[in-house]
Amino acid sequence: MSDTAPKTVGGILTDNLWHSNPIFMQVLGICSALAVTNLLTNTFIMSVGVIFTTMMSNFTVSIIKGLIPRKVRMMVQVLIIAFYVIIVDIVLRAYMPDIHEALGPYVGLIITNCIIMGRAEAFAQSNGPGLSLWDGITSASGYMGVLLVIAFFREILAFGSLFGFRIMPNWFEPWIIMAMPPSAFFFLGIIIWIGKTIMNHEEAAA
Amino acid sequence: MNKQSLVYTIVFTFAVCFVFVAILAVANDLTAEQVRQNQIVAQQRAVLNAMGISYQSDEEVLSLFEDVEQEEIDGTIVYITEKDGNRIYAMSFRGGGVWGPIVGILAMDSSLENIFGIEIISHEETPGLGGRITEEQWKEQFRDRPVPDGSIDVVRGGSTGDGQVAAISGATGTSNSMERILNNAMERFRELLGGRDA
Repeated sequence: MSDTAPKTVGGILTDNLWHSNPIFMQVLGICSALAVTNLLTNTFIMSVGVIFTTMMSNFTVSIIKGLIPRKVRMMVQVLIIAFYVIIVDIVLRAYMPDIHEALGPYVGLIITNCIIMGRAEAFAQSNGPGLSLWDGITSASGYMGVLLVIAFFREILAFGSLFGFRIMPNWFEPWIIMAMPPSAFFFLGIIIWIGKTIMNHEEAAA
Repeated sequence: MNKQSLVYTIVFTFAVCFVFVAILAVANDLTAEQVRQNQIVAQQRAVLNAMGISYQSDEEVLSLFEDVEQEEIDGTIVYITEKDGNRIYAMSFRGGGVWGPIVGILAMDSSLENIFGIEIISHEETPGLGGRITEEQWKEQFRDRPVPDGSIDVVRGGSTGDGQVAAISGATGTSNSMERILNNAMERFRELLGGRDA
């Protein structure tokens, strides 16, 4: 990985989207990757929630990092993450009740997404607010990208639709297993395989 | 000031918790009225959906709902409307699903031998599996569904006849729960309205 690479805006972007992608390189946040990826709409909204939370918690941790005593560092990070997740939950419940209904318990579960805690601890604790904010956005976007790819294939195979619109012909028999959480492992495995292969070629070429 | 000292740690932790929780409390309080309003509209929308009354906006829901009679029988609120000369009754139902309670509205015609429609208000079923009970395609099966022997049967695959609806594939638990919950609700309907203008 590129922990020693200089922290530039472009470097953070390519690192988080590709070289250290939280899902297929660091294999973090897998529980939610399994749970929400059977429908594209749910995946999209959940990912937007993760982007907002990662971005804001990274930003906040970075601003107050100088004030946090080492012993309670992680506890404060969790508190900040939980704070933003509950804000997302309150806003959805009040102004987007239909989406809140569709996501059910998954919004609250954003708190337990290890990517957010990982970025707060690994990046925001030692970098400035601007870069941390950017790191949060790109890191969670890397998560979103992989999840959308998984959800794309799962929704087609499980329901014959994309974003709820039926696209497969009528004779298409849905694959029930694709609607179940464990089936995400098939696609996750394939994505990690493809990603690693391309990366090895890049390294060999370099 | 020593940021690693015990006193600083305790004061800092307390202050951080206090500030963040205070903001959440205010946000929760500010949106409480909106949330309550959403719940009222959601309940009224569900009753109208179950009764097959269409609407365009939340404002229309509130005005259409004023035409629906409400009668409290034995502690249960029964919603009554006239449609094409027939009386339609609706009532909320509630029962255990796979992960949590399933709450919704069941509408029946006055003979209590036909389900007129159902609507789900809240549930905690698995998204994409049991959660599909909220999809139109599934709920539409109940529209004008005769239930001659007074109970509904959720069957796997294939075509469905009187008193039968198709189960959701991959969600046997939820399908069975819906069967039980709806049959209990119809039983309750007969207790409350049995013998009335049937």
